[in-house]
Amino acid sequence: MEELMDILQEFEPGVDFEHCTDLIDGKILNSLEILSLVAEIEDVFDITIPTVEIVPDNFNSAQAMWNMICRLQEEE
Amino acid sequence: MTSYCSFPFLFLFLPAVIVVYQLMPEKKRPYVLLAASYLFFWLISGTLLVFLLFTTVSIYSIGKRLDREGEKRDALLKTAPRDEKKAIRQLCQKKQRRWLALGIFLQLGILLTIKYSGFFVENMNQLLKWQQIEPLIKVPQFVMPIGISFYTLQAFSYLTDVYRGVTKAEPKLSRLALYMSFFPGLMEGPICRYRDMAEQLSAGGKITYHQLTYGVQRILYGMIKKVVIADRLNPLVQELFDSGTAYDGGLMFVALFAFTCQEYMEFSGTMDVVIGTAQIFGIKMQENFERPFFSRTISEFWRRWHITLGTWFKDYIFYPVSMAGPMKKLTKNTRKSLGSYYSPLLAGTVALFCVWSLNGLWHGAGWNYIGFGMFHFMLIVLGNFVEPPVAWAAEKIGLNRDSVPWRIFQMLRTAFLVGMGEVIFRASSLHQGVQMLKTMLTSFTLGSVKNGTLFTLGIDRHDFLITGVALFLVLAVSILQERGIKIRDYIAGRKTPVRWMIYYSAVLFVVVFGAYGNGYLPIDPIYAGF
Repeated sequence: MEELMDILQEFEPGVDFEHCTDLIDGKILNSLEILSLVAEIEDVFDITIPTVEIVPDNFNSAQAMWNMICRLQEEE
Repeated sequence: MTSYCSFPFLFLFLPAVIVVYQLMPEKKRPYVLLAASYLFFWLISGTLLVFLLFTTVSIYSIGKRLDREGEKRDALLKTAPRDEKKAIRQLCQKKQRRWLALGIFLQLGILLTIKYSGFFVENMNQLLKWQQIEPLIKVPQFVMPIGISFYTLQAFSYLTDVYRGVTKAEPKLSRLALYMSFFPGLMEGPICRYRDMAEQLSAGGKITYHQLTYGVQRILYGMIKKVVIADRLNPLVQELFDSGTAYDGGLMFVALFAFTCQEYMEFSGTMDVVIGTAQIFGIKMQENFERPFFSRTISEFWRRWHITLGTWFKDYIFYPVSMAGPMKKLTKNTRKSLGSYYSPLLAGTVALFCVWSLNGLWHGAGWNYIGFGMFHFMLIVLGNFVEPPVAWAAEKIGLNRDSVPWRIFQMLRTAFLVGMGEVIFRASSLHQGVQMLKTMLTSFTLGSVKNGTLFTLGIDRHDFLITGVALFLVLAVSILQERGIKIRDYIAGRKTPVRWMIYYSAVLFVVVFGAYGNGYLPIDPIYAGF
């Protein structure tokens, strides 16, 4: 989880990723930033994020992203 | 019944549906809505209803097959050893993909044949003509069922969401049929997602006083936009676009402004009527507009204008294209050399090209629509690429990009650029649209305004005054909404005489200043034609 928080903080330094739960719905992350974030997460955690996972529920908070990462790691 | 703002819909059809709905027991009410929706479709498109029925039945059957494959996969995964799980997933996905492909082929096949075959054949003929080849292929002509472009996108999203596991397949045909045909959104959207609508549509709750009054208020506001502004501007817009570049650049600018206003008022006004109508039945449809002309960039404009179409393209075209294998590789390989801003921009630009080509074509089978799409594609891409240097330059010269004057400048610039796109969109051809813009930019003069020609082009000074007052009213409401003030809640909290005075004033405003009767021709619902 710490690694993910580091990625996110580097991405958007001013955002409170620990508590924010509307990163997508609140338009804090746009679609291009999602593309970049997906590439970074795939590299760091050695997973493949399929398109079907690109839904607001998986990216609205750091916790949701972490849950997705853990699930995909288990499925790999 | 030609539009949601027409007399037969508002004063005959809708009241009749409300009465029958309210009289029925709770369990039967969704069936009342379904029957009303099919009647509505039949009154406009007659026997073309079979297209909607076919689409509904086909996505119902394929959705169930997709679900069944998913259930089979989950059952196998429960007992399978760890090293076999990946293979099981891949095998099931392969089967599901086949079903999804069949579903999409059927839906898109109908839409492409009915809406685009004429355009395709016409262009083929033109190519053959250039090669001096005869005989030419006969151009097929089809009558389009009402709302086919909207309900096809809904069908597409339903199947894809079932495939992705975002939603379960609907076990009840009548419920899916109501989602596909719900009459308020049938003609012009919003393009709803099944997971947002399913429960609401089958709830069958009683119409409450709150639902009825809030719904009617929203309809009334939509009527002001549509009947007072959009319809009143119609003769002027028709004259200016029919005459093309016969007038000077000043009047071409008037054409840009008048059509942009007209389209926004017509479409957002109709959405108010649509959403208000659904609200009466306790159904919350997604908003399609969020005061787009307060946008500071073109990208932001498209997040606030026709929102449901934009999110549809984002979910079903932008991400699948930009997340495809080669695109992902491109993003990863260029991340170190280009940085985290520019590297996703390359894949994003390819995806945006697909989105805007399809967005243009979705609006209509014509080169001007493709031109409209490409115009916005170029503006968005340009905006994305120049953003870092602009931010850098602003910092260097000490420009506060959040200051009010700068924000107003950005809003006006965005509105003007959007207006230029609207000229291409409304023109009879791409060539005419470009010529009109050329005239506007190269021969701009206020001569026609000063000598009074402007007031002889279908609408007079009196019409301009009414339109101006109504536009000011909409602007004032929009500013309050932008500040988070809920106007209907505020009015509802006033004392009865004040409240009813406001309601009566709004009704009288539409009755007295609405552009209807002799000498006026209401515009056809612009988006219903798509």
